[in-house]
Amino acid sequence: MSMSTPISPISPITIPELSPAGSSGVSGATPGAFQSVLEGLVGGVEKSQAQAQQTVNSFLTGGNEELHSVALAAQRSSLEFDLFLQVRNKVVSAYQEVMRMQV
Amino acid sequence: MLENAGTGIERYMNLLSASQKLVASNIANVDTPGYKAKDIDFQSELASQFDNLAPAAKEVTGLKTKNDGNNVDMDREARRLAENSLRFAVATNLARSELATLRSAIEEGKTS
Amino acid sequence: MSLFGSLSVSASGMSAQRTRAELLVENLANAETTRTPEGGPYRRKDVVFEEDPSVGSFSSELTSAMGSSASGVAASQTIVDNSEPYRRYMPGHPDADQEGYVAFPKINPAEDMVDLMGASRGYEANVAAISAVKDMIQKSLDLFR
Repeated sequence: MSMSTPISPISPITIPELSPAGSSGVSGATPGAFQSVLEGLVGGVEKSQAQAQQTVNSFLTGGNEELHSVALAAQRSSLEFDLFLQVRNKVVSAYQEVMRMQV
Repeated sequence: MLENAGTGIERYMNLLSASQKLVASNIANVDTPGYKAKDIDFQSELASQFDNLAPAAKEVTGLKTKNDGNNVDMDREARRLAENSLRFAVATNLARSELATLRSAIEEGKTS
Repeated sequence: MSLFGSLSVSASGMSAQRTRAELLVENLANAETTRTPEGGPYRRKDVVFEEDPSVGSFSSELTSAMGSSASGVAASQTIVDNSEPYRRYMPGHPDADQEGYVAFPKINPAEDMVDLMGASRGYEANVAAISAVKDMIQKSLDLFR
Protein backbone atom coordinates (compact mmCIF):
# COMPACT_ATOMS: atom_id res chain seq x y z
CA MET A 1 0.00 0.00 0.00
CA SER A 2 1.15 3.50 -0.74
CA MET A 3 2.35 5.12 2.43
CA SER A 4 2.59 8.64 1.06
CA THR A 5 -0.59 10.16 2.35
CA PRO A 6 -0.96 13.49 0.65
CA ILE A 7 -1.14 16.30 3.15
CA SER A 8 -4.48 17.99 2.67
CA PRO A 9 -3.73 21.47 1.37
CA ILE A 10 -4.23 24.31 3.83
CA SER A 11 -6.88 26.48 2.23
CA PRO A 12 -5.43 29.92 1.66
CA ILE A 13 -6.79 32.72 3.78
CA THR A 14 -8.44 35.17 1.49
CA ILE A 15 -8.38 38.73 2.74
CA PRO A 16 -11.87 40.08 2.21
CA GLU A 17 -12.39 42.84 -0.33
CA LEU A 18 -11.67 46.23 1.12
CA SER A 19 -13.83 49.09 0.03
CA PRO A 20 -11.78 51.84 -1.69
CA ALA A 21 -9.63 53.71 0.79
CA GLY A 22 -11.35 56.80 2.04
CA SER A 23 -14.99 55.95 1.50
CA SER A 24 -15.39 53.58 4.44
CA GLY A 25 -13.15 55.44 6.84
CA VAL A 26 -11.68 53.91 9.95
CA SER A 27 -14.62 51.92 11.30
CA GLY A 28 -17.60 50.33 9.64
CA ALA A 29 -17.54 47.30 7.31
CA THR A 30 -13.78 46.58 7.18
CA PRO A 31 -13.06 45.66 10.81
CA GLY A 32 -16.14 43.39 10.68
CA ALA A 33 -14.66 41.42 7.78
CA PHE A 34 -11.32 40.93 9.54
CA GLN A 35 -13.18 40.01 12.67
CA SER A 36 -15.18 37.29 11.00
CA VAL A 37 -12.00 35.72 9.59
CA LEU A 38 -10.56 35.56 13.08
CA GLU A 39 -13.81 34.28 14.52
CA GLY A 40 -13.81 31.47 11.98
CA LEU A 41 -10.31 30.48 13.00
CA VAL A 42 -11.15 30.63 16.69
CA GLY A 43 -14.08 28.33 16.03
CA GLY A 44 -11.76 25.83 14.37
CA VAL A 45 -9.32 25.93 17.25
CA GLU A 46 -12.07 25.50 19.83
CA LYS A 47 -13.47 22.55 17.93
CA SER A 48 -10.14 20.76 17.67
CA GLN A 49 -9.35 21.40 21.32
CA ALA A 50 -12.75 20.09 22.41
CA GLN A 51 -12.17 17.05 20.23
CA ALA A 52 -8.75 16.44 21.74
CA GLN A 53 -10.11 16.88 25.25
CA GLN A 54 -12.88 14.43 24.58
CA THR A 55 -10.42 11.84 23.22
CA VAL A 56 -8.21 12.24 26.27
CA ASN A 57 -11.16 11.88 28.65
CA SER A 58 -12.37 8.80 26.88
CA PHE A 59 -8.91 7.30 27.13
CA LEU A 60 -8.49 8.17 30.80
CA THR A 61 -11.85 6.76 31.87
CA GLY A 62 -10.92 3.41 30.40
CA GLY A 63 -12.72 3.70 27.10
CA ASN A 64 -11.68 2.00 23.91
CA GLU A 65 -9.48 4.87 22.79
CA GLU A 66 -6.11 3.94 21.36
CA LEU A 67 -3.11 5.83 22.68
CA HIS A 68 -1.96 6.81 19.19
CA SER A 69 -5.37 8.41 18.53
CA VAL A 70 -5.02 10.46 21.69
CA ALA A 71 -1.53 11.58 20.66
CA LEU A 72 -2.61 12.53 17.14
CA ALA A 73 -5.65 14.44 18.41
CA ALA A 74 -3.43 16.36 20.82
CA GLN A 75 -0.95 17.17 18.07
CA ARG A 76 -3.67 18.32 15.68
CA SER A 77 -5.11 20.59 18.30
CA SER A 78 -1.67 22.03 19.01
CA LEU A 79 -0.95 22.60 15.32
CA GLU A 80 -4.37 24.16 14.81
CA PHE A 81 -3.64 26.56 17.62
CA ASP A 82 -0.18 27.44 16.27
CA LEU A 83 -1.71 28.06 12.88
CA PHE A 84 -4.33 30.28 14.42
CA LEU A 85 -1.66 32.25 16.23
CA GLN A 86 0.38 32.85 13.10
CA VAL A 87 -2.66 33.78 11.05
CA ARG A 88 -3.91 36.10 13.74
CA ASN A 89 -0.57 37.87 13.81
CA LYS A 90 -0.64 38.23 10.03
CA VAL A 91 -4.22 39.47 9.98
CA VAL A 92 -3.56 41.98 12.73
CA SER A 93 -0.45 43.34 11.03
CA ALA A 94 -2.29 43.51 7.69
CA TYR A 95 -5.08 45.40 9.41
CA GLN A 96 -2.63 47.81 10.98
CA GLU A 97 -0.96 48.36 7.64
CA VAL A 98 -4.27 49.11 6.01
CA MET A 99 -5.07 51.55 8.77
CA ARG A 100 -1.74 53.28 8.23
CA MET A 101 -2.54 53.93 4.61
CA GLN A 102 -2.84 57.52 3.70
CA VAL A 103 -6.33 58.33 2.59
CA MET B 1 -8.58 22.88 8.93
CA LEU B 2 -5.99 20.54 10.26
CA GLU B 3 -8.43 17.95 11.54
CA ASN B 4 -7.37 15.57 8.81
CA ALA B 5 -3.66 15.74 9.49
CA GLY B 6 -2.32 12.19 9.62
CA THR B 7 -5.76 10.61 9.21
CA GLY B 8 -4.63 8.01 6.68
CA ILE B 9 -1.78 6.91 8.89
CA GLU B 10 -4.01 6.88 11.97
CA ARG B 11 -6.39 4.57 10.18
CA TYR B 12 -3.55 2.21 9.30
CA MET B 13 -2.40 2.24 12.92
CA ASN B 14 -5.91 1.36 14.05
CA LEU B 15 -5.84 -1.66 11.77
CA LEU B 16 -2.43 -2.73 13.04
CA SER B 17 -3.64 -2.45 16.64
CA ALA B 18 -6.77 -4.45 15.90
CA SER B 19 -4.69 -7.14 14.20
CA GLN B 20 -2.24 -7.31 17.10
CA LYS B 21 -5.10 -7.82 19.54
CA LEU B 22 -6.32 -10.77 17.51
CA VAL B 23 -2.80 -12.22 17.30
CA ALA B 24 -2.57 -11.99 21.11
CA SER B 25 -5.94 -13.68 21.34
CA ASN B 26 -4.81 -16.45 18.97
CA ILE B 27 -1.67 -17.03 21.01
CA ALA B 28 -3.60 -17.12 24.29
CA ASN B 29 -5.96 -19.69 22.74
CA VAL B 30 -3.34 -21.87 21.07
CA ASP B 31 -4.51 -24.87 23.12
CA THR B 32 -8.22 -24.11 23.31
CA PRO B 33 -10.22 -26.88 21.65
CA GLY B 34 -12.31 -25.69 18.72
CA TYR B 35 -10.79 -22.20 18.59
CA LYS B 36 -10.24 -20.77 15.09
CA ALA B 37 -7.48 -18.21 14.45
CA LYS B 38 -8.65 -14.72 13.46
CA ASP B 39 -7.03 -11.68 11.86
CA ILE B 40 -7.85 -8.41 10.09
CA ASP B 41 -8.14 -8.34 6.31
CA PHE B 42 -6.06 -5.24 5.60
CA GLN B 43 -6.86 -5.09 1.90
CA SER B 44 -10.60 -4.98 2.32
CA GLU B 45 -10.54 -2.67 5.33
CA LEU B 46 -8.34 -0.13 3.54
CA ALA B 47 -10.41 -0.39 0.37
CA SER B 48 -13.57 0.47 2.26
CA GLN B 49 -14.68 4.09 2.15
CA PHE B 50 -15.35 4.46 5.82
CA ASP B 51 -12.88 4.46 8.65
CA ASN B 52 -14.46 1.63 10.58
CA LEU B 53 -13.88 2.01 14.31
CA ALA B 54 -14.15 -1.75 14.74
CA PRO B 55 -12.50 -3.54 11.82
CA ALA B 56 -14.00 -6.93 11.17
CA ALA B 57 -12.16 -9.94 12.52
CA LYS B 58 -12.11 -12.70 9.95
CA GLU B 59 -11.12 -16.32 10.31
CA VAL B 60 -7.73 -17.05 8.82
CA THR B 61 -7.83 -19.38 5.82
CA GLY B 62 -5.38 -22.06 4.87
CA LEU B 63 -4.58 -23.29 8.36
CA LYS B 64 -4.35 -26.91 9.38
CA THR B 65 -6.81 -28.01 12.03
CA LYS B 66 -5.49 -30.13 14.85
CA ASN B 67 -7.31 -33.05 16.46
CA ASP B 68 -9.01 -30.88 19.04
CA GLY B 69 -10.47 -28.55 16.41
CA ASN B 70 -7.93 -25.78 17.09
CA ASN B 71 -6.17 -24.30 14.04
CA VAL B 72 -3.74 -21.80 15.56
CA ASP B 73 -0.32 -21.95 13.90
CA MET B 74 2.25 -20.61 16.36
CA ASP B 75 4.79 -19.83 13.65
CA ARG B 76 2.28 -17.72 11.80
CA GLU B 77 1.29 -15.87 14.96
CA ALA B 78 4.91 -15.18 15.84
CA ARG B 79 5.49 -13.76 12.37
CA ARG B 80 2.35 -11.59 12.56
CA LEU B 81 3.39 -10.32 15.99
CA ALA B 82 6.73 -9.10 14.66
CA GLU B 83 5.25 -7.73 11.44
CA ASN B 84 2.56 -5.66 13.14
CA SER B 85 5.10 -4.29 15.59
CA LEU B 86 7.50 -3.20 12.86
CA ARG B 87 4.83 -1.69 10.64
CA PHE B 88 3.49 0.23 13.61
CA ALA B 89 6.95 1.68 14.20
CA VAL B 90 7.10 2.76 10.55
CA ALA B 91 3.66 4.36 10.78
CA THR B 92 4.63 6.24 13.91
CA ASN B 93 7.66 7.70 12.18
CA LEU B 94 5.62 8.67 9.13
CA ALA B 95 3.04 10.41 11.30
CA ARG B 96 5.72 12.29 13.18
CA SER B 97 7.33 13.44 9.97
CA GLU B 98 3.99 14.60 8.55
CA LEU B 99 3.26 16.55 11.71
CA ALA B 100 6.75 18.05 11.67
CA THR B 101 6.27 19.17 8.08
CA LEU B 102 3.00 20.85 8.95
CA ARG B 103 4.55 22.51 11.94
CA SER B 104 7.44 23.93 9.97
CA ALA B 105 5.04 25.12 7.27
CA ILE B 106 3.04 26.96 9.90
CA GLU B 107 6.07 28.49 11.54
CA GLU B 108 7.59 29.46 8.24
CA GLY B 109 5.59 32.64 8.23
CA LYS B 110 6.70 33.81 11.65
CA THR B 111 7.25 37.55 11.67
CA SER B 112 8.23 37.98 15.32
CA MET C 1 -10.77 -3.30 23.56
CA SER C 2 -7.75 -1.14 23.06
CA LEU C 3 -4.17 -2.35 22.87
CA PHE C 4 -4.07 -2.26 26.66
CA GLY C 5 -6.82 -4.83 26.71
CA SER C 6 -4.71 -7.25 24.74
CA LEU C 7 -2.22 -7.21 27.62
CA SER C 8 -4.98 -8.80 29.72
CA VAL C 9 -5.60 -11.34 27.00
CA SER C 10 -1.96 -12.42 27.02
CA ALA C 11 -1.94 -12.45 30.81
CA SER C 12 -4.89 -14.82 30.77
CA GLY C 13 -2.95 -17.04 28.38
CA MET C 14 0.02 -17.12 30.74
CA SER C 15 -2.23 -17.92 33.65
CA ALA C 16 -4.00 -20.74 31.83
CA GLN C 17 -0.76 -22.34 30.63
CA ARG C 18 0.66 -22.09 34.11
CA THR C 19 -2.35 -23.87 35.59
CA ARG C 20 -1.92 -26.55 32.97
CA ALA C 21 1.78 -26.89 33.77
CA GLU C 22 1.04 -27.14 37.49
CA LEU C 23 -1.38 -30.00 36.94
CA LEU C 24 1.07 -31.79 34.65
CA VAL C 25 3.82 -31.45 37.22
CA GLU C 26 1.47 -32.83 39.85
CA ASN C 27 0.73 -35.78 37.59
CA LEU C 28 4.40 -36.46 37.03
CA ALA C 29 5.25 -36.20 40.70
CA ASN C 30 2.46 -38.66 41.56
CA ALA C 31 3.01 -41.12 38.76
CA GLU C 32 3.64 -43.89 41.25
CA THR C 33 1.41 -42.76 44.11
CA THR C 34 -0.71 -45.70 45.23
CA ARG C 35 -2.18 -44.17 48.35
CA THR C 36 -4.18 -40.93 48.60
CA PRO C 37 -6.34 -39.36 51.36
CA GLU C 38 -9.42 -40.02 49.24
CA GLY C 39 -8.47 -43.66 49.02
CA GLY C 40 -7.05 -45.49 46.06
CA PRO C 41 -4.25 -44.41 43.76
CA TYR C 42 -3.61 -40.89 42.48
CA ARG C 43 -5.98 -39.91 39.68
CA ARG C 44 -4.63 -38.06 36.68
CA LYS C 45 -5.78 -34.47 36.39
CA ASP C 46 -6.28 -32.53 33.20
CA VAL C 47 -7.33 -28.99 32.42
CA VAL C 48 -9.90 -27.73 29.93
CA PHE C 49 -9.21 -24.47 28.12
CA GLU C 50 -12.09 -22.30 27.13
CA GLU C 51 -12.29 -19.08 25.14
CA ASP C 52 -13.13 -16.20 27.50
CA PRO C 53 -14.57 -13.12 25.72
CA SER C 54 -14.83 -11.06 28.87
CA VAL C 55 -11.07 -10.74 29.28
CA GLY C 56 -9.57 -7.38 28.43
CA SER C 57 -12.69 -5.37 27.77
CA PHE C 58 -13.32 -2.50 30.11
CA SER C 59 -16.99 -2.21 29.45
CA SER C 60 -19.04 -5.05 28.10
CA GLU C 61 -21.59 -2.86 26.31
CA LEU C 62 -18.86 -1.22 24.29
CA THR C 63 -17.39 -4.59 23.38
CA SER C 64 -20.60 -6.06 22.08
CA ALA C 65 -21.48 -2.87 20.25
CA MET C 66 -18.15 -2.75 18.50
CA GLY C 67 -18.11 -6.46 17.79
CA SER C 68 -14.69 -7.02 19.26
CA SER C 69 -13.81 -10.65 18.85
CA ALA C 70 -10.46 -10.82 20.56
CA SER C 71 -10.84 -12.98 23.60
CA GLY C 72 -8.72 -14.37 26.35
CA VAL C 73 -8.59 -17.91 27.63
CA ALA C 74 -9.61 -19.50 30.89
CA ALA C 75 -8.62 -22.83 32.39
CA SER C 76 -12.24 -23.37 33.18
CA GLN C 77 -12.33 -26.90 34.49
CA THR C 78 -10.08 -29.47 36.01
CA ILE C 79 -11.01 -32.95 34.91
CA VAL C 80 -10.09 -35.87 37.08
CA ASP C 81 -9.59 -39.17 35.35
CA ASN C 82 -11.87 -41.53 37.23
CA SER C 83 -11.49 -44.51 34.98
CA GLU C 84 -10.18 -47.81 36.20
CA PRO C 85 -6.59 -47.54 37.40
CA TYR C 86 -3.81 -49.90 36.29
CA ARG C 87 -3.54 -52.97 38.39
CA ARG C 88 -0.25 -54.70 38.82
CA TYR C 89 0.32 -57.95 40.54
CA MET C 90 2.54 -57.18 43.54
CA PRO C 91 1.47 -59.37 46.47
CA GLY C 92 4.07 -58.06 48.91
CA HIS C 93 3.10 -54.39 48.45
CA PRO C 94 1.50 -52.67 51.50
CA ASP C 95 -1.36 -51.39 49.31
CA ALA C 96 -2.07 -54.74 47.68
CA ASP C 97 -5.67 -55.89 47.82
CA GLN C 98 -6.80 -59.45 48.69
CA GLU C 99 -5.82 -60.83 45.28
CA GLY C 100 -2.39 -59.21 45.48
CA TYR C 101 -3.01 -56.49 42.95
CA VAL C 102 -1.94 -52.90 43.50
CA ALA C 103 -3.75 -50.05 41.77
CA PHE C 104 -1.37 -47.60 40.10
CA PRO C 105 -2.16 -44.21 38.60
CA LYS C 106 -2.93 -44.18 34.91
CA ILE C 107 -0.21 -41.77 33.99
CA ASN C 108 2.11 -41.92 30.99
CA PRO C 109 5.08 -39.77 32.05
CA ALA C 110 6.42 -39.35 28.51
CA GLU C 111 3.09 -37.96 27.35
CA ASP C 112 2.85 -35.54 30.24
CA MET C 113 6.43 -34.40 29.72
CA VAL C 114 5.65 -33.50 26.12
CA ASP C 115 2.51 -31.70 27.28
CA LEU C 116 4.60 -29.82 29.78
CA MET C 117 6.89 -28.64 27.00
CA GLY C 118 3.82 -27.51 25.11
CA ALA C 119 2.59 -25.54 28.11
CA SER C 120 6.01 -23.96 28.48
CA ARG C 121 6.09 -22.94 24.82
CA GLY C 122 2.58 -21.54 25.11
CA TYR C 123 3.58 -19.57 28.18
CA GLU C 124 6.61 -18.08 26.43
CA ALA C 125 4.58 -17.16 23.38
CA ASN C 126 2.21 -15.15 25.57
CA VAL C 127 5.18 -13.40 27.14
CA ALA C 128 6.44 -12.50 23.65
CA ALA C 129 3.00 -11.12 22.78
CA ILE C 130 3.01 -8.88 25.84
CA SER C 131 6.45 -7.64 24.90
CA ALA C 132 5.43 -6.81 21.33
CA VAL C 133 2.27 -4.99 22.42
CA LYS C 134 4.18 -3.05 25.05
CA ASP C 135 6.57 -2.04 22.30
CA MET C 136 3.74 -0.70 20.15
CA ILE C 137 2.27 1.29 23.03
CA GLN C 138 5.64 2.87 23.72
CA LYS C 139 6.01 3.77 20.06
CA SER C 140 2.67 5.60 20.30
CA LEU C 141 4.18 7.69 23.06
CA ASP C 142 6.68 9.01 20.54
CA LEU C 143 3.80 10.71 18.78
CA PHE C 144 3.49 13.09 21.69
CA ARG C 145 6.85 14.65 20.94
